[in-house]
Amino acid sequence: MVNATKGVFISCDIPMAQYIINMNASMPASDKFIIHILDNTHMFVQPHVEQMIRSQIAKFREDNTYVKPN
Amino acid sequence: MPEVRIIAKNFMDMVASMQAMKLDKLYENGFICEAILRSLPPLAKKYVIQMLHIDVPVAAKLLEEWVLPDGVSKHRVAIDRLVQLRVFLEAVDRKNEKTYKVNPTFQRSLQKLLVQGGTLPRESMPSNITVRLPTLENLEAYALEQWECFLLQLISPSQVEKPLNISSSLMKVFQRRILSHRDKEAPKLTESGFQFLLMDTNAQLWYIIREYISNSEERGVDAAELISFMLELSFHVIGEAYSINTLTDFQRNIINDLADLGLVKLQQGRKGSWFIPTKLATNLSMSLSDSSSRKQGFVVVETNFRVYAYSTSKLHCEILRLFSRVEYQLPNLIVGAITKESLYNAFENGITADQIVSFLQQNAHPRVAERVPSVPENVTDQQIRLWEADLNRVEMTEAHYYDEFPSRDVFEGACDCAREWNGLLWEDSKKMHMVVKTEAHHHVREFLRRQK
Repeated sequence: MVNATKGVFISCDIPMAQYIINMNASMPASDKFIIHILDNTHMFVQPHVEQMIRSQIAKFREDNTYVKPN
Repeated sequence: MPEVRIIAKNFMDMVASMQAMKLDKLYENGFICEAILRSLPPLAKKYVIQMLHIDVPVAAKLLEEWVLPDGVSKHRVAIDRLVQLRVFLEAVDRKNEKTYKVNPTFQRSLQKLLVQGGTLPRESMPSNITVRLPTLENLEAYALEQWECFLLQLISPSQVEKPLNISSSLMKVFQRRILSHRDKEAPKLTESGFQFLLMDTNAQLWYIIREYISNSEERGVDAAELISFMLELSFHVIGEAYSINTLTDFQRNIINDLADLGLVKLQQGRKGSWFIPTKLATNLSMSLSDSSSRKQGFVVVETNFRVYAYSTSKLHCEILRLFSRVEYQLPNLIVGAITKESLYNAFENGITADQIVSFLQQNAHPRVAERVPSVPENVTDQQIRLWEADLNRVEMTEAHYYDEFPSRDVFEGACDCAREWNGLLWEDSKKMHMVVKTEAHHHVREFLRRQK
């Protein structure tokens, strides 16, 4: 019997994939969101985590930016 | 990637989207036919000329034989365009074969134009009546100044010292998609508004004229008449004076709006008044890609990401503020810096890196414009584009994951089905797993149900 799961498909580069995997690993067991790691650059995650992942990445990016004060 | 919502379509696309009846009425005017003919792709032009004196329908097959096999795609484009504009009428003959014939109204007008030549409905006024006509340079400066004033009023009405007389209702029409009005908040530029500001003058003009025309029915103005007047206007000579008295009441109303936009300059003398078309007006029937009317640039970008804009215009300052950090402003110079933050701000507002880069290139100061590249590569390719790419590193799509297929046949069938709907995102044929876009999910589900 074919089984279908609803979720979000993520396609990204290798470092970004590792970052997301790391993010998933640091979550408590109840909040883990990765359903399948398909290959190096693709994964399948729970629905509704899209915003959370995006904001985490944005925060990560900001932490790595230095802005010259005015 | 954000979608580009303002498509700077050209006039002819708008003409093509008109109702058949109105279009046929437009073609009674020879000038419109000429403008249409000019706008066509080369192959389409040839077809029109070739068929101009043929009164009977010509079979589509015959037309196809005119081109070599590798010209077929161009042939398609040409025919599509002609049918879209109703220059060619498509029909099916008794043998059930497709035929084309030139739209009789169009045919008559163009034949007449070719044989008799076209005369404008009005002649330019003799120079003894119009004493102080502006020089071409003055006229161009006037047009650009008027246009800039209009733009500034459009995006930030509070900064304008002497507002134009464009009625506030018309202004609202123009602002409709450029500014978002939230309750009690100062109006903010929308995503399309940002893109609008970075377009070149011609493209902006198209956008405004398009809004002007598409809204005309609401104002009780006939769109066909409006288009025909504008196209007619584009055949007038720049810098010549034409008497207002030759216009109909309808056109007189329009010309006032056009004067505010800088398309014409109105002047009054002792004996009557007249209008002088500017470059903006005559550009109307030209294609957008025609960049001959580029104005002088003012921006210098250095390799250290500093931007120097030699401009006194508030509008330019507002535009630079969209994607750079303006550091100081001297009377004739704006100095800013392109920073990661300022760019992210721009990207958030829906501006793309390409738009910024092309704005910087198109407006390069003459001193740097001659150089190749006019904007340093380390700024454009290595930073602006890189930073944009950094934002789009992760792509997410709502999808369904399928596994536990009973057999390879079913799996491959399902893959093909998903591919057919353009919905297959990922597959693993060894383990028989696949991911399908949500849009295609129910098609695949249907397919699997039928397999049982």
